Order: sequence, then C-alpha cells, then structure tokens
Amino acid sequence: MASLPAQAAFYYMAAASIASALLAVTRKNPVHSMLWVLALFLHVAGIFLLLGAEFLAAVQVIVYAGAILVFYLFVLMLLDLPGEQARPRFAAHWPLAAAGGLGIVAIIWLAQFATHDPTRNGIAPAALPSATEGPRLGSLAEVGRALFGPFALPFEIASLVLLAAIVGAVVLARRRVET
Amino acid sequence: MIVPVGVVLALSAVLFGIGVFGFLARRNLILMLVSVEVMLNAVNLSLAGFSHHLADPRGQVLALFVIAVAAAEAGVGLGLVIALNRNRPGAGVADLTQLKW
Repeated sequence: MASLPAQAAFYYMAAASIASALLAVTRKNPVHSMLWVLALFLHVAGIFLLLGAEFLAAVQVIVYAGAILVFYLFVLMLLDLPGEQARPRFAAHWPLAAAGGLGIVAIIWLAQFATHDPTRNGIAPAALPSATEGPRLGSLAEVGRALFGPFALPFEIASLVLLAAIVGAVVLARRRVET
Repeated sequence: MIVPVGVVLALSAVLFGIGVFGFLARRNLILMLVSVEVMLNAVNLSLAGFSHHLADPRGQVLALFVIAVAAAEAGVGLGLVIALNRNRPGAGVADLTQLKW
C-alpha cells in the first residue's frame, strides 16, 4: 500500500525542509533567510500533497508563499536595514536558545513515546473510512463540508480576527498626523 | 498511509525546535517573526499528519484556521515593526531599551 516512490518523495521533502529551515534561521542576510523560508514552505506544501491534503497544499502555496512571505519581503525592503550583515546574527545567549529548541524537541518526542510507540503502529485510527461512498478524504468537498458545517462559527470568528488584524495593522503603521 | 504517523510527527517536532531556536537566538525582529512562521508550519504539518492518519477532515480545517491566524499575526507584527522603525531606525531587539529603566 505504501509505494516506494511516494516514500522516497516524502523523505526527500522531509530532509529538504529540515535543511532549509536550518539555513533560514542561520543565514546572515535577511533576504537569503526569506528565500530559504520560501523553500521550506514549498517543501511542506509537497508533504501536504503526499498526505492527501491537496487544498491545504494549494492554500500553503498561495497564501503562505504567495502573500505572507511577499509581505515580509516588502517590509524587509521598506525598512532598508543598514549594516544588518555586519552585526552578529545571533544574540549572546544563542547556546541557551539552542538548548531550548533541543529541549522542546526532546519533550515532544518523550511525550510521543511515553504514550505510544508511534513509529511502530501508532495512534490507532479512530474509524476506518468507508472506501465505497462519499468523497475521498482530503478532497475539497470533505473539507468544505466540515468548514461550513460544524466549523461555521469558528470560520466566521476567523474572519473577525482577520478584520481586526487589518484595522490594527493600518492603525499601527499609519503615519501620525500632528494636530 | 505513505509513512507512519510518527515520522510526520517527528519531522514536525524537529521543525518546531528549529523555529524555537530561531525565535530565541536571532537579533532581528523580522527574522524572529519568520521563525514563528516556521513553528506554525510545523504545527500545520502535524495537524495534516493526524488528519491523514485518523481519516478526519477536521485536522485540515484546524490547519486552515492556523494559516488565517498566521496571516493576522504577520500583519500586526510587521505593523509594529514599521511603527518601531519610525521611532528609531533598525530592527534589532537589543536596541529596544526604552522601557528598561
């Protein structure tokens, strides 16, 4: 059931996303960091495709890579940070930060292995999907049915959150008019 | 199932740890926000992995909400960076010491 090319593609994308994330947080030039984050987003979108989340992959590419990352790049170019490459890229406490990151990873792995051995059989699937009827999981219809059915209220609240963020960003970034 | 769900969760944990390291270690405000985006992507990855494993579309719906909140966070955070940059040039966290004394 698990085809070899798909597995190879998954492990390639996993390795590439870890490598590009590491490069993104360690590059000195902020624009290079952004481009490595772009590579990370595209590889994560590929993993979404392999996991059967086609709509999520499309949203990842269009919204994350297309809108949010371009927004970051715009602000980076707008600020025109002088001498950014000459300064040290990490704060003096960066070994502590590395220990913190490793600690988080260790806690998550411990939590997984304390509950189950997820690499062997893992968390049992709640219910086996019926393969005969209904749209396939991950298809847009399934997600849309959940989004506008049981998740209708959180969906509307998400639009309110976005509206508040738009108004807040405009108020914050507006040039103050002296009265 | 292409790979066991544990492999997806392990990848998600590693990406989250890289994001935590970047957020704590970088001195540039914008790159700290980008590290937050890396962490949010790691969470999305584990949500998609659970959704695939449990054959349940709710994981993908939650990931969509995470993306919406990430967009809001980027807007407000970068607005704050621009406002700070107007008061004093530069985007280093070490320079922001007005509230220190």
